[in-house]
Amino acid sequence: MVNYLYDSSFEGLLTSIYEAYYRRETPNHIFPYNYIQQSLIDSNIHIATNLEKASKVYESIHRKISYQALKNVYHAYLSELNDIEIIILNYLKLGFKKGKEIDLHLSEDNVLAIHTAAKKVTREAHLMLGLLRFKQLENNIYYAQYKPDHNITTLISSHFVNRFSDQYWVIHDLKRHYAAVFDKNSCVFTDISEQKILSSLNNNDNYEKLWKNYFTNICITERINPKQQKNYMPKRYWNFLTEKQL
Amino acid sequence: MELQKKLEILSAAAKYDVSCSSSGSNRKNTKGGLGNSSACGICHSWADDGRCISLLKILLTNYCIYDCAYCVNRLSNDVPRATFTPYEVAGLTINFYRRNYIEGLFLSSSIIKDPNYTMEQLYESVRILREEYNFNGYIHLKAIPGADLSLIEASGKLVDRMSLNIELPSSKGLQLLAPQKTRKNILKPMSFVNSKIVETKDNRRFFKSSSRFVPAGQSTQLIVGATPDHDLKILRLSEGLYKGYGLKRVYYSAYVPVSNNPNLPTISRPPLLREHRLYQADWLLRFYGFSSSELLDEEHPDFDTDFDPKCSWALRNINLFPVDINKSDYEMLLRIPGVGVRSARKIITARRVKQLDFDDLKKLGIVLKRARFFITCKGKYYSSIGLDEMQIREVLADKSRKSHDNWEQLSIFTNMVELPTLEDKLMSLVGEI
Repeated sequence: MVNYLYDSSFEGLLTSIYEAYYRRETPNHIFPYNYIQQSLIDSNIHIATNLEKASKVYESIHRKISYQALKNVYHAYLSELNDIEIIILNYLKLGFKKGKEIDLHLSEDNVLAIHTAAKKVTREAHLMLGLLRFKQLENNIYYAQYKPDHNITTLISSHFVNRFSDQYWVIHDLKRHYAAVFDKNSCVFTDISEQKILSSLNNNDNYEKLWKNYFTNICITERINPKQQKNYMPKRYWNFLTEKQL
Repeated sequence: MELQKKLEILSAAAKYDVSCSSSGSNRKNTKGGLGNSSACGICHSWADDGRCISLLKILLTNYCIYDCAYCVNRLSNDVPRATFTPYEVAGLTINFYRRNYIEGLFLSSSIIKDPNYTMEQLYESVRILREEYNFNGYIHLKAIPGADLSLIEASGKLVDRMSLNIELPSSKGLQLLAPQKTRKNILKPMSFVNSKIVETKDNRRFFKSSSRFVPAGQSTQLIVGATPDHDLKILRLSEGLYKGYGLKRVYYSAYVPVSNNPNLPTISRPPLLREHRLYQADWLLRFYGFSSSELLDEEHPDFDTDFDPKCSWALRNINLFPVDINKSDYEMLLRIPGVGVRSARKIITARRVKQLDFDDLKKLGIVLKRARFFITCKGKYYSSIGLDEMQIREVLADKSRKSHDNWEQLSIFTNMVELPTLEDKLMSLVGEI
């Protein structure tokens, strides 16, 4: 049994797919480096990320399958679900056979799994466009923390680049220690530590109080329905919602 | 008065307006400006009543010269009153927006002094946001019936959506509960706004740079359960509004008892199920190609509580079923109970490369709870009971009753179902009594 280990970047994953094709072998798993699982019978192969190989795969997905398939693969990759890498490989294998009609085969297990994973990611990304809360720091930077299930920071940042084009802002993924930073001109993605920011958090923002006040008063008490509320806005996101803090 | 207190009063006063949608407009941000709107709309939070919060929904003032019986802000009601200045509204909107609490503003108002003065104040708040703060987010503005049309036109150029609430489905109800309002006064500005929307859309086909007018369309709201009107009446009105006035949405609001006026019904809880059924029917009108006459008629003027409107339609027209998943067209797929727009599209896509069977449908995520009684796949019918209206009705109603949890504990003293005795059985056999 062969396992591939890659550096958990999208390019790394594409390189692994390239290798799987040209070594004519089917890896049992494709793991990120940091996924440590020793086994006596499996042999692990480290895949060094190679941009040239990655871009070949990227181009051929676009050309031979479809742009939609490329998008599906990228979104599925961002889902970080267990063993999604191997499903991506199987999806692409089928895709290179079937061409652009691959996404019509909805009852095919691998296609279905990719669509479900991609859907999870785009859904959470859309939900976060609304649920992300910015805090105004003293130096007039707007700072948002969150812990999304999937790695969606790159997906959602373009929305905020368009929307808040006249303010400095940071979107910080606490789970992955990853952030998008915008300086009114361009958006940069970087690894970031938590402590730096926390010291300058302003806990005395009058608008936060106003917002909490608004949140309580807009509810019609005769129609109270916590189940529906949790359906739309799962409780795991409440930690970072201003209106749900006491 | 402090801003906190004002916000408290004026948001609580605005909460009975149901609309909160922020969709339908794709206003772009300008250079150095703030905000844009997303065509699909974005919800930012959900209140404890489960309704989404997308816009900052407030009244400019809740001082009112009218005395409509169903309204919490009526003149004769003893509630705390407050008024925002246009700058306060703009400031709140901008600061909430920058923290990503909201998608924009939904500004409404009670009638203070007279309709024109109120409309001027509303216009001023919106103008400040657009021109002084360069705000390009979503704005939904309530138009005031009876205000000058030129004021409504000027506001319409700045906002994304406009609405006029009809509130009561019949003129008779209006006369009884809101004698100071007339149907004509509401419909006149509505048709004016509609004609302007059509005109600007036409213009923009030739001159891309010509200004927009209410790009997200107009909407209205009807109160359900404050008057004795039947669902049929309400649904016909909505249908007329969609067809005749090009409305984007009609909202339904279950009447929440806010007054003990003798002209109003005494109810303990708002009729939420009825509201839900009306929304379901409303969707059928707009996206499923149904007409109001198919769903309700004089014999059935109200919706069934046990079945959704599409399901009751299908049960009444059982002769049109079963429908074959692999052969029937999109319009017919949409009419299968339990199959919605998304499912129908999935079926159409998937069957291009493969004949679908029952398991495929499950994989696609089609909900088969109701659909299985009405479909065949590859010529095969999968439900264990036949295509019989009464039997399907029984199975489905049984399920819905179980899920509603309104069973009651039987006691030996309540009417027990009498089982047929041997004597009865004999009688039925020989036919003698």
